[in-house]
Amino acid sequence: MDKQVFNIKNLDLYYGKFQALKNINLTIEKNKVTALIGPSGCGKSTFIRVLNRMNDLIEECRIVGDVHFHQDDIYHEKFDVIDLRTRVGMVFQKPNPFPMSIYDNVAYGPRCQGIKDKAELDEIVDKALKSAALYEEVNERMKESAMDLSGGQQQRLCIARAIAMNPEVILMDEPTSALDPIATLKIEELINDLKEQYTIVIVTHSMQQAARISDTTAFFLMGELIETDNTDKIFTQPKMKETEDYITGRFG
Amino acid sequence: MNTNTRKKKRVDQIVRSIFLASTLLSASFIIIIVIFIVMKGITPFITDNDGLGVVNIWTFLTGTVWLQGTAFQSNLYAVGFIIVNTLYIAFLSLLLSLPVGVLTALFIAKIAPKRLAEFLRTIVELLASIPSIVYGLFGSGIILTFVYNLAELFGVQSKGGNSVLATVLVLALMTLPTITAVSEVAIRSVRKDIEEGSLALGATRTQTNFKVVLASAKSGIFAAAILGIGRSLGEATAVSLVAGNAKSGPNLGLFDITTTLTSTMLQGLKETTGVDYDIRFSVGIVLMIVILLTNFILNAVKKRVGNVNVK
Repeated sequence: MDKQVFNIKNLDLYYGKFQALKNINLTIEKNKVTALIGPSGCGKSTFIRVLNRMNDLIEECRIVGDVHFHQDDIYHEKFDVIDLRTRVGMVFQKPNPFPMSIYDNVAYGPRCQGIKDKAELDEIVDKALKSAALYEEVNERMKESAMDLSGGQQQRLCIARAIAMNPEVILMDEPTSALDPIATLKIEELINDLKEQYTIVIVTHSMQQAARISDTTAFFLMGELIETDNTDKIFTQPKMKETEDYITGRFG
Repeated sequence: MNTNTRKKKRVDQIVRSIFLASTLLSASFIIIIVIFIVMKGITPFITDNDGLGVVNIWTFLTGTVWLQGTAFQSNLYAVGFIIVNTLYIAFLSLLLSLPVGVLTALFIAKIAPKRLAEFLRTIVELLASIPSIVYGLFGSGIILTFVYNLAELFGVQSKGGNSVLATVLVLALMTLPTITAVSEVAIRSVRKDIEEGSLALGATRTQTNFKVVLASAKSGIFAAAILGIGRSLGEATAVSLVAGNAKSGPNLGLFDITTTLTSTMLQGLKETTGVDYDIRFSVGIVLMIVILLTNFILNAVKKRVGNVNVK
C-alpha cells in the first residue's frame, strides 16, 4: 500500500478572476494528521475543499494542476466524485447535523449507498458512534432529534456520520471553532484516537491545536503554501521567515 | 425639567395616542363585523322566522338536505353535508397542489439555472396575484368542458361538468402559486452547510434534495399547506362557478355536483329575504369556526412535525 494518500502538484485555484491558491505542492501521508494553518483568507479552507471536490459547488471556481488520490486524478472528467466523497469524509466548521434523529443522521450515508438491512445499519451506527466517543451519551436516545444535542455532541455526531462511511480520509475544516474549550478537548482526544485508522487533514485557526494534534503542519499565506514539515520542526525551527513571524504571533 | 424635554414628551404622548386610536379603530371593525354576523346568524335559531318556525340547530349542523329559495319556503336548512363537502374538497385540492407545488419549488430553488429560476419565480408571483374570479372564469370555460368530456369517457353524465372534480381542479390551480411561492422560500432558506454535509457524504444531488433539503424545509412547507387549505376553504366566487350547487349530500363522487360553505352563502344572496337571507350568516359562523379549527389542528400538527428543525 502506498504511503501517499493525496499528491498535489502545481495546483492553482481561481474564483472568477481572483486566484485563491497559487502553485500548491503537497503530499498527504497515510495515517497521519496533517494540519493546515495560516491567517484568515489564506486559502487553507479552500484547499481542504479541493480534496473532496466540494469546490464544485461554487460557480466560477476553476482549478488547474494535478490532484491525485492514490493513483487517480480526481479532477479527471471521468472520475466519479460520489465515490471520492464516500472515501474522503468531511467535518465542517459549524456542526451541521441533519434535522432528523441521531440514528438517522449516522445511517444517512450508508443508506444513500443503498444499505437497507436493519441489522447491518444498526451495527454501522453503533460502531461509528463508539468510534466518535458519543455512544455512551446517546445510546438511550437514538430516536431523538439530533438538534437537541449540545454543540460538542453535534460535532462528534458529524464525525460519527463521516466515520459511518468507513472512509480512508477525514477532512476537518476548523471543527472546533464553534465549540467551547471542553468540547474542543474532547474532539482533539478523538482525533488522536482516530488517526490510527484514518488519515486526517485538519484546518485550524489555533496554532496550539495544530501543535497538540498534528504530525505534519502546512503553513499557508496569501494563497501560497509557504512551508510544510514535521509539526515539531515547524514550531521549533521554521525555515521561512514568514512562518516564524506567524507562529511567534507577529501577525495573523 | 426644561421646556425642550417637556415638549418632546408631549410629542411622544400625542404620537402614542395616534397609534392607539388607529389600533382601536381596526380592532373595533373586527369586533363589529363579528357581532353583526353573530347577531344575524343566530336569528334563524331564536325567532320563528315569520311563521316558518325555528330552525333546529342540531339538524342544521348535522343534516343532509339544504332547502332554499322562495320556492321551498321552509325552515329546513342543514349544513352537515356541506361541512363534509368543504373539507373533502379542500383536502383533495391540497392533495394535488401540495406535491406539485413542492416539486416546482424544489426545481426553482435548487435545480433550475439562475435566470430560469428568476423567470419562474416572477411567473409564480404573478399567478399568485391573479384574482379568483379569473380562475373561476377559466374554470367554467375550460375545466368544465374538460371534466364533462372526461366524465363522458367514463360513461357518466355530469351536470355540464359542474362537479367535485372541477371544483378541486380550480382550487388546486388557485392555491398552487401560493404553495409554490411559500415552499420555495422555505427551501431556499435551508442552511447551505446542511446540504454540503449531505453531499460530502457521497449523497447525490437528488438524494440530498429529497432527504435533507425537504426535511429541513418541512415546517415552511407545512405553513404553505396551511395557507393553501385556508384559501381553499375560504374561496367563494370561483367555486360557485363550477360546483353545481348541490342541495343534498355529502357529495363524494368526483363527477357529482357539490356545494361548499362559501358557495352556499353566495348562492342567490341578492335575491332573497327573511330566514333564507339570515341563514347565510349562520353558515358564515360555521365557516369561521371550521377555518379556525382547521388552522388550530394543522398548527398543532405542524408543531409536532416541525419541532425537529425549529432551532
